[in-house]
Amino acid sequence: MNKLFFQSAVVSTVLSYLLIFVGGLVRVSGSGLGCPDWPKCFGRWIPPTNINQIPEYIDPTSFNIVLAWIEYGNRLLGILVGFSIIIMTLIAIYYLRRNKKILFNSLLSLFLVGANGGLGAIVVSSVLNPFIVSLHMILALFLVSVLSYLCIESYKIENDHPFSKVFLSKKISFSLITLWVVIVIEILLGTGIRTNLELIAVDNPLFSKGELLNSLNSYKYLHTILGFSLLFLSLYLCYLFKRDNFGLSKQLVYFIFIMIIVQIFLGELMIFFELPQLTRLFHTWGSSWLVGIIIILYNSLQYEQA
Amino acid sequence: MNKLSKRIIILFFTIVTLGFIGLFVIDKAANSRINNIGVISTVPNFSLINFDGKEITSSILNDKITIVNFMFTQCEDACIVMSENLSLLQERFSQSNDIQFLSITTDPEFDSKEVLSDYNKKYSNKNNWFFLRGDLIDIINLSEKGFFLSAKLLPAGHSTRFILVDQNNQIRKYYEGTVDANIYELQSDIVTLINQM
Repeated sequence: MNKLFFQSAVVSTVLSYLLIFVGGLVRVSGSGLGCPDWPKCFGRWIPPTNINQIPEYIDPTSFNIVLAWIEYGNRLLGILVGFSIIIMTLIAIYYLRRNKKILFNSLLSLFLVGANGGLGAIVVSSVLNPFIVSLHMILALFLVSVLSYLCIESYKIENDHPFSKVFLSKKISFSLITLWVVIVIEILLGTGIRTNLELIAVDNPLFSKGELLNSLNSYKYLHTILGFSLLFLSLYLCYLFKRDNFGLSKQLVYFIFIMIIVQIFLGELMIFFELPQLTRLFHTWGSSWLVGIIIILYNSLQYEQA
Repeated sequence: MNKLSKRIIILFFTIVTLGFIGLFVIDKAANSRINNIGVISTVPNFSLINFDGKEITSSILNDKITIVNFMFTQCEDACIVMSENLSLLQERFSQSNDIQFLSITTDPEFDSKEVLSDYNKKYSNKNNWFFLRGDLIDIINLSEKGFFLSAKLLPAGHSTRFILVDQNNQIRKYYEGTVDANIYELQSDIVTLINQM
């Protein structure tokens, strides 16, 4: 039954990551108001495909079939994630109730997915208030953190051989926790920049990208500086794992290093080149990967035996 | 091929696929915005008087993006919200000379030039907002036949919609003037039209 739980945790995690991608797609394509109501879309459980299907009490001029389906895709996937987490939690309650870590975190993930669904309703009713949209994303990051933790914990029950020769020494533990915390701060700074850009853009709809960036305070540079410091921190981690065999842990360490390089590249690309929406999408999505992977890495390591 | 390189290849193709899906969706959404403001009809000729006494004809619509609405100064709830929303839009687009606003009174008897002038001072902060009056019968005609908006039991029975008119005198879309989500949409549609000019 451990294996069943592990599989359901992996499915929930993968679907949640996909959901973050689709949610990002809704934001960058500006489809958040594609459905003016919530949870239904134009009063229907299946969004209208034709303008005649719109109920009288809703203004038909706001109907844009493409935006409606993009927004609804996010909701449908959200429901799928919800169901997958419900199933996972049921498995945990029936078979793994003695494992308090797994039980507690399954219930926590169930709470988080429900809360974030509810927050989705507020996103729509607030007419896409940038703060609430960002909060919606941050809650999703917490969700994938908890789910990633459940994946590695349940995998460890089945596979008791270590993934690494390196023990979770104080030095490594401290480095990994620092890395995670700095990445979360980095994400908060990034969402802060995005929130402010959107707030400025609402008041100045004709601002060009350059004008928008110029009207941000100098704390925008902090995001870049912190990004480079993350690069050095992850390089240091690579150094700490250099004698390790090439197991899961070491692969993840390298992956984190590569991801941070990719993130810096995408971030600069967004400022200096075109296709800002697609770059934004992957920049945001990449940050959510890092959050989950560090948690998996941390829990793949064994404590030093006294 | 070992397990790791297989995983890397799968990961790579997943990301490339998602990238293409992302591009496709972003592109579709951008195009749908343009298609969603298709031409509805052409604004007929009209001739009305601005609050400063100048005659304003339909030629004022040429080469500008215009937001039109019907209102009257004694109207207490909807018109205040509508005028505040127009005032907000006027401020947000104040750097552009390609946009203008027309508010047509449905109560020309009370709304004299002086009354409209005071109303203008209250809400407008740039000279691109015209408050127009004329014969009631002309205004009813313009509302019903020109803009397809019902104008029964005036003055209060006027429509609360904003009409987006493009630089070629063509009606592009309607928005509920009191609903924030509609104003948000109107704003992004104005940007789309200005970028196309």
